[in-house]
Amino acid sequence: MLKSGLLFLLLSFSGCAALLFRDIVQQSTTRNYDYTKYHNMSEISAWMEQIVKENPGVVTSQTYGKTFEGRDITLLKISVANPDGKEKKAVWMDCGIHAREWIAPAFCQWFVREVLQTYRTDEKMKEMVQNLDFYVTPVLNIDGYVYTWINETTRLWRKSRSPPPANCTCYGVDLNRNFNANWGTVGVSTDCCSNTYCGESPASEKEAQAVTEFVKNRTKEIICFLTIHSYGQQVLLPYGHPQIMAPNHAELLEAGTGAAKAMTAVHKQEYEAGTPPEILYEFSGSSKDWARLAGIPFSYTFELRDKNEFGFLLPEDQIQPACQEAYAGARHIITYAHDKFFTDSNNAGAVSASITLWVTALTSYLITYVLE
Amino acid sequence: MNWFCFVWTVLFSMVWQCPAAPSTPSPTAPGSTAQDEVECPSNCVLLIYSNRSTSEAQDPLVMTSTELNPDHYEAQRAAHAVRYYLNTLYGTPFRQLSFSKVHQARTEDLGEAGMKYLLEISVKDSLNKSSEKLCSAEVVYPRGETQQPPKVQISCAASLQLNTSAEEEDFYKRYSAADSAVSGKDIPDSYGHVDPEMVPFWKLAGVASTFIMLNESNENTLYNLAQVAKITQLESQNGQLRLEYVVLLHDMISQVIIIACITTSDD
Repeated sequence: MLKSGLLFLLLSFSGCAALLFRDIVQQSTTRNYDYTKYHNMSEISAWMEQIVKENPGVVTSQTYGKTFEGRDITLLKISVANPDGKEKKAVWMDCGIHAREWIAPAFCQWFVREVLQTYRTDEKMKEMVQNLDFYVTPVLNIDGYVYTWINETTRLWRKSRSPPPANCTCYGVDLNRNFNANWGTVGVSTDCCSNTYCGESPASEKEAQAVTEFVKNRTKEIICFLTIHSYGQQVLLPYGHPQIMAPNHAELLEAGTGAAKAMTAVHKQEYEAGTPPEILYEFSGSSKDWARLAGIPFSYTFELRDKNEFGFLLPEDQIQPACQEAYAGARHIITYAHDKFFTDSNNAGAVSASITLWVTALTSYLITYVLE
Repeated sequence: MNWFCFVWTVLFSMVWQCPAAPSTPSPTAPGSTAQDEVECPSNCVLLIYSNRSTSEAQDPLVMTSTELNPDHYEAQRAAHAVRYYLNTLYGTPFRQLSFSKVHQARTEDLGEAGMKYLLEISVKDSLNKSSEKLCSAEVVYPRGETQQPPKVQISCAASLQLNTSAEEEDFYKRYSAADSAVSGKDIPDSYGHVDPEMVPFWKLAGVASTFIMLNESNENTLYNLAQVAKITQLESQNGQLRLEYVVLLHDMISQVIIIACITTSDD
């Protein structure tokens, strides 16, 4: 009796030990990933690999360019098959185009998790992922982001890390002034030492080229382009140039205002919507302007928390509420864009319902009167 | 002497673009990190402010008045100038003033004398979060090629005056002791963290910065305190608490980070 008891104990102990050993050897799953902490680039890359591994058939990754320093620029694609084999549209999201805005990459990771956790259970999300693919780039300006992690003196870097042009001495281009959208006209500096230096030519920066190439080949597919920044608590619609207005300005404003309201409602933090020349400052060469000019109807810049207390140095205990707000705003715009393009399915539903009704009525009439 | 008077003596407030500013690292070593610590006031060009008063309007003016959208940037920037002004008057390590909303705004072009902004704003007091004061404020930005600070007036100024709190007195007593040697750097740190003990010093840096931010304000700027790079307690003179700060100020419009050196002492 004692012997079998001891044997049992030994077996279960070694069983437990084996399980423990397996867990240590195995990479940690994303279930343990802390979305309420800031992560450096190698942690984010590892997380991306895990997300792909854990969601086979739904998440793939794609490298679509290189940074100046030669790093791969990679996005996660979330794609669920459309049950009727219908053509799908897509949503683009990028974070971290400005290196010091750490809450932005944190939000892209949060967003991916949210979609993956809700697409099977939330009715609206379920419908939307059948019609929309999601392209999410957690960190676009990887060189800049890596630079901000070196030490405290580099934390407030904003630009890319390309070398200075001739006759100038400073590194980096403001990627959000470098896109080919009224490039170099307003709100930019031609001094390479400036934090709003727009570069030597439109899309001179490899990071801007990568986005341009990927998106311009998909302008019929992508209906929503969201680029995430901090700080300021604003939803910015095209254009940054004061003298031009998007052809669909009214609906951009409607969706944007709705998003700002949804964001404000989460934790009573004020968010506002408008064009940059109205509520911020005029500037050209932004990615959201380029996307709108390329034909993508719903194009926005999100400025996340806060207003001015911590600024770029948003505490980690605010990551969760900031991401909840941003998610509410992103979801509002994605839903708006989705419903605009996929009302056919609603109409088809209504048509088939009314056909059913008529057939039933006719049949019962025939049965009642013909068979009498 | 304690915090009562809150007449901030901002000595040596110097603003400069150092060659070693965080936004412009040296390009000679591509992988190199940014600069060494900034020493006050050593190797940087000093800008000293003149207290030139704006000239009085002599001729009868054609005063054009324009209504502004209170949520748009023009009114908002002027409201921030009011925020800086209020904190130069009443800000303490334990009390900061800001605004929640601009209700109405318009401008009056005063010609040579500058551009006047008239605002109705709700002033928020960090000491009393539930109630806000509706105030009328005026901001006059002078015209000219060199930077001059705006002149600010606000109707509810008197009603914002408060006595020194026990908290402030304790703070002063504790840190003006002869052996006190407060120091710190990078507040908040990269992760946004501020040591609880350093919070009043951080808030004090914000208040002291409003002197500089007001001085540097014009219609094309919007300043916030980005970070306290360094804080050092200086030797107490006559029982005063004296602190030397290196602060990083962020201008939202140009996206520049300026380094400023501030020495504070109560008076």
